[in-house]
Amino acid sequence: MALKILNEARGGLLKERLRITIQIRSGLLIAFSVFGAAPIYVSAGQGSQAQNPQSPNPQTQNPPAPNPPPDLKSLGFQEFSDRVQKYVQLHKSIEATVPKLKATNEPELIVAHQKIMARKIKAARAHAKRGDIFTPAAKEDFLKAISSEFQGPQAPHAKATIKQGAPLSKVHLHVNEIYPESIPYTSVPPTMLQKLPKLPEEVAYRAVSSDLVLLDVKANLVVDYLRGVIPIEAKNGQ
Amino acid sequence: MTLRRRFFLIGLFLVLATGQRADEFKFPLKSNSVRFATIGDMGTGDKSEFETSQQMNEQRKNFPFDFVLALGDNLYGGHSPSDFEKKFASPYKTLLDAGVKFYAALGNHDDASERFYKPFNMNGANYYSFKKGNVHFFALDSNYMDPKQLDWLQKQLEGAGSKDWKICFFHHPLYSSARKHGPATDLRLLLEPIFVKYGVNVVFAGHEHVYERILPQKGIYYFTEGSSGQLRARGLDRSNITANGFDSDRTFMLVEIADDQMYFEAVSRTGKVVDSGVIQRQQTASAVKR
Repeated sequence: MALKILNEARGGLLKERLRITIQIRSGLLIAFSVFGAAPIYVSAGQGSQAQNPQSPNPQTQNPPAPNPPPDLKSLGFQEFSDRVQKYVQLHKSIEATVPKLKATNEPELIVAHQKIMARKIKAARAHAKRGDIFTPAAKEDFLKAISSEFQGPQAPHAKATIKQGAPLSKVHLHVNEIYPESIPYTSVPPTMLQKLPKLPEEVAYRAVSSDLVLLDVKANLVVDYLRGVIPIEAKNGQ
Repeated sequence: MTLRRRFFLIGLFLVLATGQRADEFKFPLKSNSVRFATIGDMGTGDKSEFETSQQMNEQRKNFPFDFVLALGDNLYGGHSPSDFEKKFASPYKTLLDAGVKFYAALGNHDDASERFYKPFNMNGANYYSFKKGNVHFFALDSNYMDPKQLDWLQKQLEGAGSKDWKICFFHHPLYSSARKHGPATDLRLLLEPIFVKYGVNVVFAGHEHVYERILPQKGIYYFTEGSSGQLRARGLDRSNITANGFDSDRTFMLVEIADDQMYFEAVSRTGKVVDSGVIQRQQTASAVKR
């Protein structure tokens, strides 16, 4: 009997249930303190058997098939890509005037490089404004792509990605300004990312609150952004 | 027999039975094995991070690991030079001075500029791979899983062949029972088929400020280690995919890979072993898929 219970416990779940039971029973705290250090021998077979395939689990259900991709050759996306290319040309021309940043033990050099890049780009784009890159035509295509992602069969997963980042409700961004360093990023839903125009390595999409941001990753500068296009359930958290 | 007496006898049995098992678990410390630690969500710079790193120093006396996987959120808040010092260089000074290398992945609190910080060994890339002994490691940027990164990952995994271990590490967990964020199911949609196809054995992630070991999913072992600095006490809502977990103190993991076995322990800030075990390497993940 004892051996049987132990063997089952090695499988995983029963052991966990027993442990929880022990936790609850205050008279057995000594047992828990020793048991807490017990090793669990696992293998692929044992672990798989411990799962219950009969009961659907939102943790393990496979997400539905993705929505069909939007037309990346559409006028708006083309216009966006052209403007991104122009921005990247500017970025590269400025970067050529700055000592190349290599991996270093000195964070001062990393921070200085970022600041110089930001200062020079800001100066070169002194009159930049929202919509310069996310043009009205581009905005229309982005809205289509994003709404398709958040309203289609994958919507729960895209929303979960946004929720994972615990988006803050109030983040005020400004074009051509440094991205506020204390504000965490929210992942752009990866399946959505597959459907947006590809970007050169100098820039990246970021989801910040409900905004989709085009960020210069080397200068940490907001190049442009679309306001309020990502549906979020905002909260204040980490 | 009273209920109280019955629970006491069960408890006594478990003490005796599992006490014996505890004696059986030992890191083999083989000469050619790969030994490392994993930490996640550690970059607070506060007392807890220092105490956890101090416990890593203690553990290293008996378990000499060579490197550390940092699972993201390496630096919370600012990214000034003093932040690099206070939240990383200072808490891990003993390990760094001893030549322990850190390999970092980026979390949602990390600035992309961390790629250029030499002690993170990212060499300017936000995703990269390296090999130690018979283990291939793949550090991914789960903040930004664009088509380029996915293509890169597939090529890297394909090139790694099928004889060695394949371990991926990144910030957002594909499976999680924690209350705060939950699993990154959207990311899972893209990554899991690749992991299965190319036989990834083990995945380490952070983000949730707890420790959790997940029962194998499609033959792959998943660990969440996101409490090496931050902690979300009672943040774990154990589910039927939870193999084990711990959410009442900071933790880190110790891992040894010797031939086809991976030995692991999750250790708390106070040195208590909260989980341990041995994993037999799957030949390919798809081979053990149910």
